[in-house]
Amino acid sequence: MSTSKIIPLGELTSQVANGSSLALGGSFLHRGPFAFVRELIRQGKRDLEIIKQSPGYDIDILCRAGCVRRTRAGIVAMEGNFGLAPYYRKAVEKKEIELEEHACASLTAGLRASAFGVPFQPCGGLHGSALPELNGWQKVADPYGTGEAVYVIPRITPDFAVIHANEVSPEGDVRVFGTSHWDRIMSRSAKRVLVIAERIASSESFASQPELTLIPHFLVDAVAVVPRGAWPGSCWPHYEVDYPAVEAYLPDGADVLAAHLAAAPEAQEAAHA
Amino acid sequence: MRESWSPFSFIVTNLARFVRPHEVTFSGVNSTLPMLACLLAKRAYDFEFTYINVAGGVDPQPSSIPISSSDPVLAEGSRSIFSNEDFYDLCTRGEMDLCFLGAAQVDGLGQTNVSSIGDWHNPKVRLPGGGGGAVMLPTARRAVTWRTEHSRRTMVEKLDFLTAAGGMAGVVTPIAVFVKRDGRLALQSWHPESSLDEVRARTAFTFDAEGAGPAEPPTGRERDALRSLDPTGTFERDAGVRLRPEAAA
Repeated sequence: MSTSKIIPLGELTSQVANGSSLALGGSFLHRGPFAFVRELIRQGKRDLEIIKQSPGYDIDILCRAGCVRRTRAGIVAMEGNFGLAPYYRKAVEKKEIELEEHACASLTAGLRASAFGVPFQPCGGLHGSALPELNGWQKVADPYGTGEAVYVIPRITPDFAVIHANEVSPEGDVRVFGTSHWDRIMSRSAKRVLVIAERIASSESFASQPELTLIPHFLVDAVAVVPRGAWPGSCWPHYEVDYPAVEAYLPDGADVLAAHLAAAPEAQEAAHA
Repeated sequence: MRESWSPFSFIVTNLARFVRPHEVTFSGVNSTLPMLACLLAKRAYDFEFTYINVAGGVDPQPSSIPISSSDPVLAEGSRSIFSNEDFYDLCTRGEMDLCFLGAAQVDGLGQTNVSSIGDWHNPKVRLPGGGGGAVMLPTARRAVTWRTEHSRRTMVEKLDFLTAAGGMAGVVTPIAVFVKRDGRLALQSWHPESSLDEVRARTAFTFDAEGAGPAEPPTGRERDALRSLDPTGTFERDAGVRLRPEAAA
């Protein structure tokens, strides 16, 4: 029996050094590691690289707080009826952050290269798009002579993959309900994996249906249990998007950001502890 | 004046009309109107087709219609989860029949810009990015996009940035439906309260309009299906689609 990997959120987050690259799980407002993201802000992290096919709230609030140096992303929006991610948009337009624009699948290809242990990975499509030239992606002929040519995406190895999960075992096995988004490939491509979970489930329950486990414990470095940690996003089937909270987050002002951070479930929990 | 056929319904209904029997159809993130179109097609048309979506759903039976088109409720009732890597791979290996992809600008070839207004490196507006577009548009059998604004700044002669090539098989706006013909967008139909002249005046690229005419009004079943999806008109209000810009403009 291995020892528990469960530690407090603050301790988990403190493992991230300034300048780290972070692959964040989930998609838009759904099952993102948002309590972790807010803790990055509270700890004053700087110069982070954010890697995610479809970031939204997470990249937006990190840009707003000045934590980001660079991002690699496929599509960035708040979604719902909120449209563009305003603080991210301003950060790109003012060149406060560097953007490497991907298609979602090209970012996945780079992560697959890392997971597969190869320096690059072919990616279907992309023909005619200006993105390959923008990013310096090479097109190679099929060495086996079909005459097809394919773009190859260089390896992307995040320092950390950070996943918000429904359930974890004390040893760090990870279960998610509903779609896994890109969490699986992120967990296989990163150097280290950090997990924030809604709740603990017994090791026996994991053993009874191991095929439901998305990430086995030996890939996981540390786990923090934060109920409602994906707020203001959803975590199916536990809770839906808190749209009023997203709306309240959007207006300008340091006080607005501070109030939002203070209203977060992990902050409320700490206040009551 | 209130239109007999609201421009919101015009877009959703005409998007649904691209769905064909026995095909695999996909709707993604940031795609409320295509999500409604796929659900409308399920309710209004007698044929079978497979509806997959970015929430992992495969022919889901959602208990409610979400604001976010990637909401996990869109996997409710699904007997499997077909996740993001799965549907991209399905598309790149050539087995996605129809996918709906967003666009900020569309040109006469049906190519799209979803990246920036102005130069990419010095953007006036940084847009969301294409998401699946650059990979899915050239590899899907057919891709269809929609714009809630039909103007010379959205239907352009030249894109500010070429996010995704390959060419849309269909484009639906509040006043027009375009389809691909001989590698270019051609007008198929216009809103019954619009006209060919208006579509030409509000489109910066040239297009063939041979055979085009006013669109067929929604059938009773199409109207009923959309009403059942949006009984209180919330989606219609949120979308804020207009046939024309305000007269003052």
